Amino acid sequence: MRSRPLLAFVLAVGLLAGSCGSDGADGADGAGDSDPVSGDTGQEDTTATADAVAGDLVIAIGGDETSLNPYTYVTGYPGYNLLMLVHDSLLVLDDGNVPQPALAQSYEVSADGLVYTMQLRDDVTWHDGESFDADDVVFTFEYVVDHTHPRWTPGVAAVSTVEATSPTEVVITLTEASPDFPVRPLADMPILAEHVWSAVADPQASGEAENIGTGPYVFADHSPDQSYRLEANPEYALGSPAAGSVNLAIIPEPATAFAALRAGEVDMVSSIVEPQLVSEFEADSGIDVISGPGFGSTMLNVNAGRAPLDRPELRSAIADAIDPQALIDIVLLGTGTAPNPGFLHPDGPITVDPLTHTFDPAAAATALDELGAVPGDDGVRVLDGEPLAFELLVYADNPTRIRTAELIAEQLAEVGIAITVAPLDAETVDEQVWPGFDVSNGRDYELSMWGWSAPVQLDAGRFGALVHSDPSIGGFNVVGLEDPDTDALVDEMNAAADAGSRSGPIAALQERIAELRPFVMLYYADGVYAFRPEAYDGWVYQAGQGPLGKISLVDG
Amino acid sequence: MRTALRRVGVTLVVLVVAVGLNFVIPRLMPGSPLRAIARGGDAGQLTRAQRAALLERYGLDDSLWSQFRGYVGGLFRGDLGTSLGDGRPVTEHIADAVGWTLLLVGTSLVLTTVLGVALGTWLTTSRRRGADRAGLVTSIALDAMPPFWFGMLLILAFGVGLGWFPTFGATTIVGGGGPLDVLHHMTLPVATLVITGLGQTYLVTRSSLLGVMGSTHLAHSRVRGLPERRLRSHALRAAALPIHTLVLLEVGWLVSGSVVVETVFAYPGLGRTVFEAVQARDYPLLQGAFLLLTLTVIVANLVADLTYPLIDPRVRANSNP
Repeated sequence: MRSRPLLAFVLAVGLLAGSCGSDGADGADGAGDSDPVSGDTGQEDTTATADAVAGDLVIAIGGDETSLNPYTYVTGYPGYNLLMLVHDSLLVLDDGNVPQPALAQSYEVSADGLVYTMQLRDDVTWHDGESFDADDVVFTFEYVVDHTHPRWTPGVAAVSTVEATSPTEVVITLTEASPDFPVRPLADMPILAEHVWSAVADPQASGEAENIGTGPYVFADHSPDQSYRLEANPEYALGSPAAGSVNLAIIPEPATAFAALRAGEVDMVSSIVEPQLVSEFEADSGIDVISGPGFGSTMLNVNAGRAPLDRPELRSAIADAIDPQALIDIVLLGTGTAPNPGFLHPDGPITVDPLTHTFDPAAAATALDELGAVPGDDGVRVLDGEPLAFELLVYADNPTRIRTAELIAEQLAEVGIAITVAPLDAETVDEQVWPGFDVSNGRDYELSMWGWSAPVQLDAGRFGALVHSDPSIGGFNVVGLEDPDTDALVDEMNAAADAGSRSGPIAALQERIAELRPFVMLYYADGVYAFRPEAYDGWVYQAGQGPLGKISLVDG
Repeated sequence: MRTALRRVGVTLVVLVVAVGLNFVIPRLMPGSPLRAIARGGDAGQLTRAQRAALLERYGLDDSLWSQFRGYVGGLFRGDLGTSLGDGRPVTEHIADAVGWTLLLVGTSLVLTTVLGVALGTWLTTSRRRGADRAGLVTSIALDAMPPFWFGMLLILAFGVGLGWFPTFGATTIVGGGGPLDVLHHMTLPVATLVITGLGQTYLVTRSSLLGVMGSTHLAHSRVRGLPERRLRSHALRAAALPIHTLVLLEVGWLVSGSVVVETVFAYPGLGRTVFEAVQARDYPLLQGAFLLLTLTVIVANLVADLTYPLIDPRVRANSNP
C-alpha cells in the first residue's frame, strides 16, 4: 500500500522531467582545430592525447574560493591552480616542474647567485587593457612585503632590492643565494597590477574588482557557493586559451561530483579519484582518467617530545613493524609510490639518492626486547611500567587515511604495540598536532596520520622546516624533533648557493631522518583524475601536482 | 491574556540566553579560524608576528568579553559582522542562502505535511488492518533511511542512470537559471527530504488519530450514524494538536536547512553555509546563522503556544481559570 504515494510521486517527477528535458551541461563542441599540447605524463596508458579545443568547460571543485584573487583564494589546491588561470608569474613550472619563461621571457643569474636580471615581455596587457611593465613587478615584490601573504611573503624573504632598470628589465638582488628562488617565488607568485593594487590598503578586504590579471582567462562571474565563470582572454600573449570558458561548479561532496561527471554535467573533477573507483571509470566509455605520481605525502607522525616516544629506538621499532607496501596494495590498490624514509619523493625535483623502507617485524621485536619492553598479560608490551599503548589521530573525513591507520594498528599489534585509532574533525586534529599553526606552541598527541602537500617536495627550505628545532626555521616541525646534528644539516643545506653543493647535505639529512624516525613515511598516493574526453582531452599531468591548471588549459 | 504575556516574557529570556550561547558554542570547538583567514591553506608558512597581525586584523586577539560586547553591540545595530572566510558581511551570506533554503525545505515541509497527514488519516481510518500495518512498516523504514544515502541513490538512479534530473546545484552552470531550470534542479533534493521525512509526520498523525478514534465522543458519533467522512474530519480535528506542534517545530528546519541534503546535492542553502562555517571555524557566520535559526525556532514555539487555544478549546479553558 505504501508504494502508492511513492509511485504517484515518481510519476509526478517523471512528468516534470518530461516537460523540462534533460540537460547535459558540458556544452563542449569539440571544434577540433587546436594545436596539440604536450601530453607526456610519464604513464603512457593513462596519458590524455591532446587534440581538442573545448567550448564551455565545466570543472567540479570542492568549495568556494571567494573572489579568487591573489589575496583571497582559499585553498592551495585547487584554489591556487585556478588563481593562476587568471594571473601570471614571472616564470612557470613545466610538466616536470622545471621553471620556464612566462612574463619574464629570459633571465640571467650572476655567478654568486645573488643577482637575477630578468627581461620581461613587452606585449602583455592586463585584463582591463592597461599595459604590463617592470613597475608592476617591482610593485608586487614590495606589496607582498608590506601586506603579509602566507604564500608570497615567505618566498621573498631573501630579496634585498628589486629595481626596474627599464620598462622591460628588472634586477632582483638577494641577501643570500637560493637555488630554489626560480621555483619560489619566481614561478609561484602572481604579479599584481600596480594600477589596481596600489589603491588597496587592506588586501584582506579586496574582492572581485581586484581580480585583474594578465592570465589566459578573465574572471567573469562568481555565484557564491555555486559557480565561477572564467572566460578566455583573446589578448593572451603567452599562448592561446584552450577553452572558450572555464566554468567551476562548486560541489562539496566528491561522490556527487563524480556522479555529475558520469551524467555529463561536468567535464572534469578536480578531486582525486578514490582507488576503488578507478576501474569503474576506466570501463566507462565516456570517461578517461589521467594519472601520475603525487608529491603529496602520507606519514605517521610520532611526537618525539613525549615519553616514551622520545626514544629513537622505539620510533625505529615502530617503523620496522610497518609494511608500507601492504598499505599501498590494500588501501591504494597499488596506485602509490613506496616511501623514502628520508621524506622526499623518490622522483621529486630536489631528491638525492632516495632510501628504501625495510619492513622487518622480527628486528622490531628484537629492538623492543632490547629496550626492555616485555609483553604483559594482554600481549601489549610494557616499558618502564607503562604499556606501549598509543592513540593515533586521523582526519574523520578521510577514509583512505582511516583505513591506513587501522592497518597500521594491526601491524603494530603484531609486535606488541597497541594502537587506538581516533578519527576526529580535521581542525581538531590540527589543533592537537600543530596548535595555532605555530610549532612553538607545543603539541598534544602521541601519533597522528599526517601529510604534507606537493609544494613541500619542491624546495629545500620547506624540507628543512620539517625537522629543524628552531621554530623560525623549523616551522613545520610538528613532531617536536630536537637534534643538533639534524639542525646542522638543515643549516648547511639552506646555506648552499647552488643545487650541486646542496646535494650532499640533502642526502645526509634524508639519512639522519631515516635514522631518527620522527615520522614514518608510508606512501605517496598517485594522482588519478577523471574527465570526459569528448569535452576536452588536452589534459597534461604536471609531475607530482596533477593536471588542473595553465599547463592543461593553454596551448603553446 | 496574562498567559500570553507570560509566554512572550519567557520567550525573551530564552532569546537572551540563546544569543549568549550562540557566541560561546562556536568558540568551544577545538581549532581556530586562522587557516580560513590566512588564505591559500598555508597558515603554517607565516611567522609568529604575521600570524598575530592577522588575528589582530580580525579582532580575534581581543578578550572574549570584548568580542562579546562587539557582537552584542552589532546586533543592536543590525550588524552581524563579516565572515572570516571571505570578508563578506554575514547578512549578505545569509541573504544569498536563505532564499534557496526556503524554497527547498519549504516545499519539502508542505509536501511532507500534506502527504503525511493525508496518508496517516487514510490508512489509519481505512479499517483495513493490512493497509495500516503496511503503512506503519513503510513509514518506520522511511524514517530510518539516512538522507545522505537515499539522496545518493536518487542521484545515481534519476541523475546518472535515467538522466532525467540534474545531479547537483540549484541551476545549470552554463546558461541556466529560469524557473523551470530551478524546479528541475530542486526535484531530487525535495524528493529526498519528503520521502525520508514522511515517516515522522505519518507516525505522529497515526498515533494521534488512534488515540482519538478510541474516544467516547467518536464512538457516540458513530452510533449516531455519522458518515465515515464526517467521522474522519472530527477525528482529525481532535488529533490536530500534535501534528500542529510537529509542523511548527520543523519550521526551525526550514531556516537551518538540511545540512546533509544541501551538501549531497551541492545546494547553496543555509544548511551548507553552516556546515562550511563549522569547518572553517567562521565564528561570525556561525553566530549569524545560529541566531536566525534560534529566532525562527523561538518564534515558531511562541506561535505554537499562542495558537493552541485556537485549535483546542480545552487548552483555552485551562488557560483561563
